[in-house]
Amino acid sequence: MTRGLHASAAGLLRGCLAIGSAVVLCVHLVLFVPGLGLGLVFLLPWPIVRMRRFTDLVRGVCGGIPRPYRDRPGLPVPEPDGRYRHDRRLYRSPFWPRQLRYLDWALGDPATWRDVGWLLTNPVVGGVLGFGPAALVVGGLAVATSGGSAWWIPVGLGLVGLGLAVAPAAARAHDAWTVRMLAPRTGLGSLKVWVGRRFFTLTRLAALGGLTVVSAALAVLAFAAFSMFAIGIVGAVPESASAVRRFTTLRRRLADEWSGVPIPTPYRPEPELPRRRPDGLYAVGDALYKTKGWTRFFQRLDWIWNDPATWRDLVWTFTDPIVGGALVLASVGAVGYGLIGLAIPGLARLARLENPPALAVLTDRPVLALLAGLALVVAGAAVAPAALRLHGRWTAVLLAPTAKARLALRVEQLTESRADATSAQAAELRRIERDLHDGAQGRLVAVGLALGAVEALIETDPAAARRLVADARESTARALAELRDLVRGVRPPVLAERGLVDAVRALALDSPVPATVSADLAGRAPEPVEAAVYFAVSEALVNAAKHAAASAVTIDFSHAAGVLTAAVADDGRGGADPARGSGLRGMRHRLSAFDGTVRVVSPAGGPTVVTLEVPCALSSPRTSTSSGRGSSSS
Amino acid sequence: MRVVLAEDLYLLREGLKQLLTAHGFDIVAAVDNGPDLLRALLDERPDVAVVDVRLPPTQTDEGLQAALAARRQVPGLPVLVLSQHVERLYARELLADGTGGVGYLLKDRVFNAEQFVDAVRRVAAGGTAMDPDVIAKLFASSDPTVGRLTPREREVLELMAEGRSNAAIGQRLFLSESAVGKHTASIFGKLGLAVSDDDNRRVLAVLAFLDARTG
Repeated sequence: MTRGLHASAAGLLRGCLAIGSAVVLCVHLVLFVPGLGLGLVFLLPWPIVRMRRFTDLVRGVCGGIPRPYRDRPGLPVPEPDGRYRHDRRLYRSPFWPRQLRYLDWALGDPATWRDVGWLLTNPVVGGVLGFGPAALVVGGLAVATSGGSAWWIPVGLGLVGLGLAVAPAAARAHDAWTVRMLAPRTGLGSLKVWVGRRFFTLTRLAALGGLTVVSAALAVLAFAAFSMFAIGIVGAVPESASAVRRFTTLRRRLADEWSGVPIPTPYRPEPELPRRRPDGLYAVGDALYKTKGWTRFFQRLDWIWNDPATWRDLVWTFTDPIVGGALVLASVGAVGYGLIGLAIPGLARLARLENPPALAVLTDRPVLALLAGLALVVAGAAVAPAALRLHGRWTAVLLAPTAKARLALRVEQLTESRADATSAQAAELRRIERDLHDGAQGRLVAVGLALGAVEALIETDPAAARRLVADARESTARALAELRDLVRGVRPPVLAERGLVDAVRALALDSPVPATVSADLAGRAPEPVEAAVYFAVSEALVNAAKHAAASAVTIDFSHAAGVLTAAVADDGRGGADPARGSGLRGMRHRLSAFDGTVRVVSPAGGPTVVTLEVPCALSSPRTSTSSGRGSSSS
Repeated sequence: MRVVLAEDLYLLREGLKQLLTAHGFDIVAAVDNGPDLLRALLDERPDVAVVDVRLPPTQTDEGLQAALAARRQVPGLPVLVLSQHVERLYARELLADGTGGVGYLLKDRVFNAEQFVDAVRRVAAGGTAMDPDVIAKLFASSDPTVGRLTPREREVLELMAEGRSNAAIGQRLFLSESAVGKHTASIFGKLGLAVSDDDNRRVLAVLAFLDARTG
């Protein structure tokens, strides 16, 4: 009883809000007239901001609904030349940009228009829901006490009871409706995102479905090529296999980008032309060939024929139309059929259009057909992501390298990187030997000679002896300087003493281009990795200074998912070609020994970003170097 | 003058001992590792310490760390750091507290006993002694602050960083002391150091210089 009374009192308050909103609406309609009617748009924000005061009040009354508005824009910040920018125009004074931003803020906020929508509808909705229960109570009392027939008394009391009973529900309904209109929007937005994503996924699935046609065509082509091979025409096999490979390479990429299933390339590397034998012939397997052209042709044939990936590709071209097609049918097909086969004809029949499209099933139950169609659409859309993922997985089954092929590939890589590492090491040792031989060793010999001479002269000619000693000292200093440079090139002292990050900081300090170093590392990488990354970063820094004409470089270290990443970014002119330039190749060689990779992104006009990645674990910090100074710059 | 010496190579340690004793220094402790050094610095409170950067047990920058730790507890404790290589990074860390009494030299500099001993005395007196190589490196990099200095001012700053007095700088560059004074004032101005009588301004100038590209 008291609850009902309370609720009807609350309803009265809400009813008053409805009256208030009607008043505010009328006032604003008047205020909007010059703004909208005469095109004086700059008059619009003020009443909108006033209106928000009222809706804020409503939000408070209806249980503290959060405000949905965007933040008010800050003051315009001048450009370097002192002018102010708004959109694609520059202004000399901040006045207009400020006004325009204000206007954008007030008119561009969807919450503004929902406020207006609420004001338009609330006089009715709020009025009914707010005053309704109270009206029932008052009306019931009036009927009961009107004193007509005795029968009116129970009717009146019944009305009063009804009013009290519906009062809480009416207040709740009013608040829910107000929340829907005046609170920050979430529900519909996420639905929109859902629909958008599904649509995207379905489009991709449809595209994959279209590509199955290519698969089928290639399968027929390959079948023809191998049939010709059977009757002795061998030329078509490598060509058809190459075509299939190009297509499967594309599909691998799509599986990665669309389905999120990365598939490595399974093919063996193409062999190089064999060295010419002493008798002038080329050997491929057991056969000998005279000319380069034929050698290459048969080598290619041999390469493609003996690669299991060729046959797996082939099997895939035959099966993709079936398996891939089935997955596409289950999602895109369901949506398409549900929409075109059921929902639209059902709707057309309900709308009593002339010559409605035919319904295959449920011909005389259009409502049921419409519902079934919509259910199919939703179901198809719902399974689309799973279908896309499954499609990728299925592609991987045949197009990914087998365990054996992966191992073979790995062995190939390791052989190559070992060769690189050993040759790099040999070159390094050669350089050190030469430097020592030409430098420090020679100088020490000179010092020894000088000291020997001093020994002989010290009694007879002290002045000459002193001169020789001074020379010897000079030679030692030179030798030390040379050794210092040598050591720097072998294992930089700061790297040994402080580790990678501080070593790169020291490097950045000495760099001709201002460089900033930031690091987020919880420990130290293994020593050889640190050295490799250090020298690679040093190379990148040199390149930024020398080739990119950069004016600032940032170097960032991070470690995530077992991979140490160093990103060297400069603001130079870009256009670095990773294929050319020995610097980048040197970096690659250095890191390949640790399975590290170098990525260079360098569009013409810059900026260039060189990313070094090396898989490795970090040990717990041994020194205090990276703590406290972790993000300092230099 | 009481000296604590830290050097792990026996020959060099004995050589330095002899050299310093011959010039009237009193070696109160000669140690060969980081922990011993820190203990000696805090127990003996020497007038000056001569410290090798790289020391056992870790063979990393243990000597530098010990020196910095001791200076955190005893601000201004004069320390001359010796190393096989000089880094701006380390020089900055040594100067960072701005209290002076810091030296950072290549080990080669002990060849010239007079100059070396002079540097030790300057550090003991609260001045600085930066290795010319540190300064040379700075000029090699394209520092905007350096760019604003005239060649003569660079020379003056270089010698100032080495820790020389205006009189000594004047002698080196064949300038009058007052001319050197003008140059130093101009350098302080360009580095944005307030005018004050504080001797530490020279240290701050070097620090600002080494720090020029921070931030």
